[in-house]
Amino acid sequence: MEVKADLDSIYAPSEDIVSREIEEELLIVPLVAGIGDMEDELFTLNETGKVIWGHLDGEKPLKEVVAKLSEEFEAPAGEIAADIMGFVEELLKRGMLVEITNI
Amino acid sequence: MLKSQISRPAVSNIKEGELSLSRQVLVELVQAVFAKGALFRFRAKGFSMHPFIRDGDLVTLSPLSDISLRVGDVVAFIRPGKGNLIIHRVVRKIGDSFLIKGDNVPNDNEVIPKANILGYVTKVERNGKERRLGRGLERFLIVFLNRGKLLDKSLYHFTRFLHHVKKVSRAK
Repeated sequence: MEVKADLDSIYAPSEDIVSREIEEELLIVPLVAGIGDMEDELFTLNETGKVIWGHLDGEKPLKEVVAKLSEEFEAPAGEIAADIMGFVEELLKRGMLVEITNI
Repeated sequence: MLKSQISRPAVSNIKEGELSLSRQVLVELVQAVFAKGALFRFRAKGFSMHPFIRDGDLVTLSPLSDISLRVGDVVAFIRPGKGNLIIHRVVRKIGDSFLIKGDNVPNDNEVIPKANILGYVTKVERNGKERRLGRGLERFLIVFLNRGKLLDKSLYHFTRFLHHVKKVSRAK
């Protein structure tokens, strides 16, 4: 099933993951069938991914996240929006992120 | 941060062996997973529980919750003063603490408060198969011999024999 990110939607980390910072990356351990599996189910977000993840806090729509990151990265929103949406879609597909609401 | 300095955001699937986790991060992960009511599965490192848990075995930990620990249980605890996560066997109960020892470490008894014990081992996997040796009734024999510092290769072969007898009688 194809998952599409929506700039008007609000996203937040799933309850079914555990995450910890390790140096410049973020380690994510999904809880699959009631198990946090460090052997088969372990993911990292690179430094950029970690910054974006930090803004996906369930409080603001994705278009505001893009605007904030545009300031932070000193890049036009139009240039970074596609990468951010692709990244959010990847996280949604993997069940690490959930949509809170569509305003 | 300038766009010229930014890499594309990425999420990567990795193997635990590709990471170098600090003691603190590993303990935090176990605690965080347990706080969500889930089990924790990871690769054991070291030889202190050989031959019952070997270096590289996949170990599944369950949170203690309301479970009462018993002599013979293999538990995961935070070593006081050092902060690292250790998996060893309960040899004796002393008040609210436990005398805990590695099966392969003759002189390494530790008295560990219950608050330092995060969980207990519920599954050991080696080469894709579950290993039960050391977690059945034979664990009481292991504890008895551990206390007397008599645990050695001969015990290993004896417990394997017992395990084989159990398997054969189950098959009948």
